Amino acid sequence: MQIVVDLNRCQAYAQCVFLAPDVFELHGEESLMFTPAVPDGQQERVLRAAAACPVQAILVGEPAGPAAR
Amino acid sequence: MTPDTLLRRINDYTNRADPYPLYAELRENGVVRQDDGAYLVGTYYEIAALLHDPRVSSDQRSRKDPDPAFTQDGLTPAFIRLDDPEHDRLRRLAMRPFGPPHSPGRIDALHGDITRIAEELIDAFPDKGRIDLVDDFAYPLPITVISRLMGVPHEDVPRVRAWTNAVIAGFDPTPGQDPERRRQEARQARIAMGRYLGGLAEERRSHPTADLLSALANDDGPEGRLTPEELMSTAVLLLIAGHETTVNLITNGMLTLLRHPEALERLRADPGLMPGAVEELLRFEPPVQYLPQRSPLTDIEVAGVTVPRGAPLILVLAAGNRDPRRFEDPDRFDPLRKDNQHLGFGSGIHICYGAPLARIEAQIALNALLRRLDDARLAEDPPPYRRSPILRGPRHLPVERDATGTTG
Repeated sequence: MQIVVDLNRCQAYAQCVFLAPDVFELHGEESLMFTPAVPDGQQERVLRAAAACPVQAILVGEPAGPAAR
Repeated sequence: MTPDTLLRRINDYTNRADPYPLYAELRENGVVRQDDGAYLVGTYYEIAALLHDPRVSSDQRSRKDPDPAFTQDGLTPAFIRLDDPEHDRLRRLAMRPFGPPHSPGRIDALHGDITRIAEELIDAFPDKGRIDLVDDFAYPLPITVISRLMGVPHEDVPRVRAWTNAVIAGFDPTPGQDPERRRQEARQARIAMGRYLGGLAEERRSHPTADLLSALANDDGPEGRLTPEELMSTAVLLLIAGHETTVNLITNGMLTLLRHPEALERLRADPGLMPGAVEELLRFEPPVQYLPQRSPLTDIEVAGVTVPRGAPLILVLAAGNRDPRRFEDPDRFDPLRKDNQHLGFGSGIHICYGAPLARIEAQIALNALLRRLDDARLAEDPPPYRRSPILRGPRHLPVERDATGTTG
């Protein structure tokens, strides 16, 4: 599972950090950091975080490109 | 009937089970002035813009005629009723022990506890016959969770319940017996609850514990600490808002799912769909139907109507959530809905502080009910509703079961 956050949409409501704190992190009060390749065991939390984003800025998918299966 | 009586009709208890036709009438009429001088807004884009508009105040003292239910409630105003910069300072202090950036794992760590409490409540259901999903489940779950999180001893929960009921009755806008007496009782309950919570926090100043009250009493951030008065009103807000609305979310959720058996079966078969379904419930039947306390700091124009400075400006979130200009087929409950930027938790700087907790409580609660109650039917539809048109939800949600029992 792979995630992309549209940082132009992100308004730092931080709902994703509450729901998947090992994948999303607030740097200071407003800057969002995240781990694009979702670690094992975090998929369910990431899906909850994506559903909860008030501006729907989190895109969840499988890796694309020639390296993907 | 004319649009200038819409708020009175929304507040009328006879419309509690289905206010949605009134919300459609509101949207069709744009921004409507009520005959008492309040302005109602029910369209999505206007509400969303006003929730982000710094010219719109949440402070009763910005009103031309402040509501004494709010200005004389016995405690200093909590951050929900303040504007920036005071709102921001108090909310950030309250956020330190609750969420990011200082406590990012706090809510995630509650999964196990919430699941256990939900399962225990279901274990206690009778094997057959009637269950009240409010009294037997949707009420005890969130009040147990928030009491533990805040550090309120279990044996004091009945007192918290009595205080909460009195406080909520105090700002109930439906006409009823003796509003002055209700207001006095609300004031006394708020003060008693504030003193009680302040006392618990004070005990923890010398003996820190792992709960929120202890953190609020002991935390020393760069901006210092809450004053004792600020701590009291913040704690009262978190404790009341931390369970009242979640009861409605769970109950409205089960009611909606029982009315939509296909959606219910789909979710039972795939619990991974529940986070999206809870978002749809927040859109379709939001636990807070409207925000009654805004007012503009200057004359503002909303959709061609001038709302004068200091007038009550009432944002009907539940109407915006069903605005056909924003949502496709808005009166359809679709747990798989994409593009669902609902207003169920508000938006902007006052967006619901407890939203992440409410979300996981509702997800866990509904998944547990679907998994373990495989043959429940609504015993009454519509069920009896609570009085409030704002915190709208069933007072009881009786369901009936055959003798097959609760499955593990």
